[in-house]
Amino acid sequence: MRLDHLDRWLGPCLMALALIWLGLAYAYIPGARGEGEPGPRAFPILLGAVLAGLGAMMTAAAFGTGRREAADEQRVAAVSGREAAIVAGIFGALMLYAFLLERLGFVIATPIIILATMRGILRIRTWTINFLLAGGVTFACWLIFAKLLEAPLPRGSWRWLL
Amino acid sequence: MVGLFFGAIPGLTFSMALALMLPFTFGMQAVPAVALLLGVYVGGMTGGSVSAILLGIPGTPSAAATVFDGYPMAQKGEAGIALGSAVIASTFGGLFSLVVMMLLLEQVAAIAIRFGPAEIFALVVFGLSTICGLAERSLLRGLIAGVLGLMLMIVGLDEFDGVARLTFGTVQLQQGVNLLVAMIGLFAVPQVIGTFLDYGRVQPLKLPHDVRARLPSLRQLGDRLWLMVRCAGIGTGIGAIPGAGGPIAAFLAYDHARRFARHPEHFGKGELSGVVAPETANNAVTGGAMVPLLSLGIPGDPATAVILGGLLIHGLYPGPMLFQTHLDTIYALYITIVLAYVVILAVQLGGIRVFVRVLQVPPHLLAVCIIVLCVLGSYAIRNSIFDVYLMGIMGLLGYVLQRLRIPIAPVVLGLVLGETLEKQYRTALILSEGSYRIFIDSGPALFFYALTALTIGLHVWSTSRGGRKGAAGPAAR
Repeated sequence: MRLDHLDRWLGPCLMALALIWLGLAYAYIPGARGEGEPGPRAFPILLGAVLAGLGAMMTAAAFGTGRREAADEQRVAAVSGREAAIVAGIFGALMLYAFLLERLGFVIATPIIILATMRGILRIRTWTINFLLAGGVTFACWLIFAKLLEAPLPRGSWRWLL
Repeated sequence: MVGLFFGAIPGLTFSMALALMLPFTFGMQAVPAVALLLGVYVGGMTGGSVSAILLGIPGTPSAAATVFDGYPMAQKGEAGIALGSAVIASTFGGLFSLVVMMLLLEQVAAIAIRFGPAEIFALVVFGLSTICGLAERSLLRGLIAGVLGLMLMIVGLDEFDGVARLTFGTVQLQQGVNLLVAMIGLFAVPQVIGTFLDYGRVQPLKLPHDVRARLPSLRQLGDRLWLMVRCAGIGTGIGAIPGAGGPIAAFLAYDHARRFARHPEHFGKGELSGVVAPETANNAVTGGAMVPLLSLGIPGDPATAVILGGLLIHGLYPGPMLFQTHLDTIYALYITIVLAYVVILAVQLGGIRVFVRVLQVPPHLLAVCIIVLCVLGSYAIRNSIFDVYLMGIMGLLGYVLQRLRIPIAPVVLGLVLGETLEKQYRTALILSEGSYRIFIDSGPALFFYALTALTIGLHVWSTSRGGRKGAAGPAAR
């Protein structure tokens, strides 16, 4: 995809984002109390207006590019199925990790997530490597952060299950 | 060591290392915490040369110019001399810039102490013009990223009126989007995604056997001493300009060395000066970058933006007051930088084989470890699982921005400088009873606006010139 073609929809999207932002700012942030005093809404409104302006500039520039041949650096690679799967996998793993940390604690959640990442996202089927990495990283982090640096690690609310 | 490690591995940046290490400094006192960050910064800048020389792949963008002669030297069997010279040059450049920094910091801070809110506002606007340097090719995209960073900063309780802004009733959001959580997500998660995407596609790295760093002879060093002084000057000067950074300094120094060499034709074929010049310059950037950072609170690149975040978290507010309230800390920082370079010199000369092993660790396994560190780091900031979720969302945002070719560094810059920008803007207007004339009534403020206009103008001019050359290229061919 050409970069200017991408900008033809990115510019309007940014303008729409700016409008939503301005709407939210007007709806949820109170204005100034005194005259001549900038209230808590002043800066958000200014930023919304600037973003809308930048979006408009991007749109105008994209439509004004014409049919010139685009150089390689002016091209954006399309998102492949593999890439989408990896992004979704990593984002899902992070969300699941946060969920499990809250419930199972660091020591149990970490090896589960590492094993899931190795098997599910990277498709590494060698269990020896997977278990060694999961156990090793969990132990090393626990030793360094919990014991040496005395940083509090999540202990989980479902400890009573164990 | 952490900085060296992250700097040496292509694909891992020391900005990410800084963001990951920052949460673990919370339990420390201010001086050791900032010392740790500076150590990572200095180590990261130095470590980039290891993979540049051994693999021909720069570990950091600042080491890109080192590849031109470092890698040919390694291919000729002179990897040891190249590595040893790079370490010596790095240490020389770093210490040279430290001396300049010590001489300049208090002078700049003494001027800045007279600034009121309008001048500080103008100064922060100038600081935001750093976006030009961080915006890669498109200033428009850089500005959009900067505005997005400022918007993220808005979320949370308003410091002036105590009003919750765009928190939608969420208690956790009242403290705002934590700077560190955002930085960990924005810097680290897209890199993990990139590493996973490369898994199975990129060939494993092949390294030379039995690598040891060897010190260059006194004659080799003596012949290049004046070159090192000049390149250290280039690096320090470039470092003090917000947004310029290590890569520009290294390339300028390389070009300078080749231009004034007795045998310029040797460059690119394994010339020692081609390693010494960029390595001196890119490390001299560290001291230069500290001048605007510590005296004015303006970060010049993503790494110094993270260090600024670290300083703020530990109650050290860069600017003129820092020299009055925390002078002992400033001196401790000077000593830290000297120590960091001494340790790096010893580690790289003595333990280069360890780093060669590090380069052989498959990147996807490191990326799995980084996921754990991201989560631990974002949790440790406020012991909040909410921050872990937020970090994941920031990571996704970082990836989306990257795919849309919107640079991430200006987002961080907006987050870092946004609070001061708004605070000074509102204070100035309260002082002037709503009159906007306050922003243009002072000489220093006008000076900073002129500098901002100059920075943006130069960027637009250089990009359009580059664009025209690029457009003429294929036609000419």
